[in-house]
Amino acid sequence: MSVSHWMTFGTFAEQRHFVYPTPRAYAGVVINANMVAYAPSGLASFLLEKTPSFAYLIDPQTHAFQHEPRAIRTSSGEVRSSILRLAEEYGEPITSCVEGRRRLLPTDFAARQRVEEFTARCLSFQRWKLATAMESSSVRKYLDAEEASPPPYALVAPYFYMSETTTESWLPVWQECAEVALAHADETKVFGAVVVSQGVLLARNLREMIVDSLEHLGLAGFLLWVDDLSEQTASREALLGLLHLARGLRGEGTREVINLHGGYFSILAAGVLGKSAMSGVAHGPEFGESRPVVPVGGGIPIPRYYVPRLHARVRYREALDLFRAKGWLNSAGTFHSEVCNCDECQRTLSGDPANFTLYGRAISREVRRNDRFARLEFPTTETKGRCLRHYLQRKAIEYAFASSASAVQQVEDLQVGASTLEDVLGPEGVAHLKLWPRVFE
Amino acid sequence: MRTSEGRLVGGLVRFLLASDYRVRLEVPNMGQSVDIVATRGRWATFIEVKATDWKRALRQCRSHECVADYVCVAIGTRSVSTALLDAARGRGYGVLHCLAEEEQCMWVVKPRLNKKKWPPQRKQLGKDLKAISHER
Repeated sequence: MSVSHWMTFGTFAEQRHFVYPTPRAYAGVVINANMVAYAPSGLASFLLEKTPSFAYLIDPQTHAFQHEPRAIRTSSGEVRSSILRLAEEYGEPITSCVEGRRRLLPTDFAARQRVEEFTARCLSFQRWKLATAMESSSVRKYLDAEEASPPPYALVAPYFYMSETTTESWLPVWQECAEVALAHADETKVFGAVVVSQGVLLARNLREMIVDSLEHLGLAGFLLWVDDLSEQTASREALLGLLHLARGLRGEGTREVINLHGGYFSILAAGVLGKSAMSGVAHGPEFGESRPVVPVGGGIPIPRYYVPRLHARVRYREALDLFRAKGWLNSAGTFHSEVCNCDECQRTLSGDPANFTLYGRAISREVRRNDRFARLEFPTTETKGRCLRHYLQRKAIEYAFASSASAVQQVEDLQVGASTLEDVLGPEGVAHLKLWPRVFE
Repeated sequence: MRTSEGRLVGGLVRFLLASDYRVRLEVPNMGQSVDIVATRGRWATFIEVKATDWKRALRQCRSHECVADYVCVAIGTRSVSTALLDAARGRGYGVLHCLAEEEQCMWVVKPRLNKKKWPPQRKQLGKDLKAISHER
């Protein structure tokens, strides 16, 4: 039972990480449509040169135009360049919304012709934008014909964010777009994207309404994204709702379901323990195990270390406190047996536990904040690289473990993590490790 | 830092400079910031400054135990709470009493050498401090 491992493209600076620890670790890459609209040539080169064996999916991000108009504008009020390019690709009704500084509404799709034209442009963009850029890439001459301009893994029908109060308004539009997409698509698979608030997870009637409306459409699969859902802090009811929704969309394995922003809980859900409630899980390089639907500012970066037993990234300081309290930094051997023995940790420690400081190294800079300068710390490039490589190695291990270990072993791993760490982190710190097995019962 | 705390810091800086400390303000440390790092010889004293909220200062001090040689709370209340003194003594922290209006500071409790620090992290702090300018 293999859990397909997808990685979300964030920035070009991260592209080398898509083959780490090995290219075979990944099923494919998810790319946001605004990036495709803005930098098709760069992304074509990335796909051809860095990840030639990868499948790719373009998230059409049609939900971006539903939110408060400020969400797609810069602080000076200009529409973000990449979003503007995407709006131009999609045409009406998106362009009117962007120009008129207003939200996209269900009534914008009242006319059938509008739905058909918009859906056709959205699918055509996904099918051809990168494929065309790949065809004109200088790398193409070194590749076989099929490798040179592969279609996306699936085309994603236009989709809309649905909260507990808006599902009834948007679901019919969603459904109509999906029907049109299925009618327009050639031999490429068509997916839908179910992007919902956490409130929807808690409302059984809404989950059922969504599944009932979508399961008979004939879609090959779904992308799933729950707004800002942190699996480590989510309640039992929210996680049960996530499983219920995913299983409904999955249709007993007849359709693919890829969680666009999932952590270890989702990986377990997609594996043996969750009886393949999802088919795959995506995350970003280091970021992206949960993500708000309306983007928020990034904040100041802090070095974070992925604690394998906790299945969570924690601030370097907290990881250090934990490992010291447990005595796991007493020797390199202890660290590798109790914390992590991945290649990156072996290389970083080089036999000396004092080198764990390399995961937290930062430089301080004066930064203007409000009306004064403040001195802030920023992780060095080397620190970010180390934390990221360690994280990606652990992720690869997690996907493999969820795919191949028995359910008993997977539960035991969580229980051992909880019992080992609780004395230092307290019940709250390990609550997710105790909760998750109960959710899968 | 609030304005009232800013005034306390001014008096505290003068007090520490007069005591031959080298003083750095708002020093970032592993994702957090400490109000004052005062160094003398090879020893680094971390000081959290609060006008009144000493409980918060104690919480912040805890995260300095990993690197500081000495950890202190500087408080600007008219009198120093007995509970603060007890808590500080129990943890080995020092307490400085600062009166903004009189611009006076004094040691109420001297800190004990922090044995909880992690030498590799302390060594890193020493390197990082060199890149941060100090008060004159």
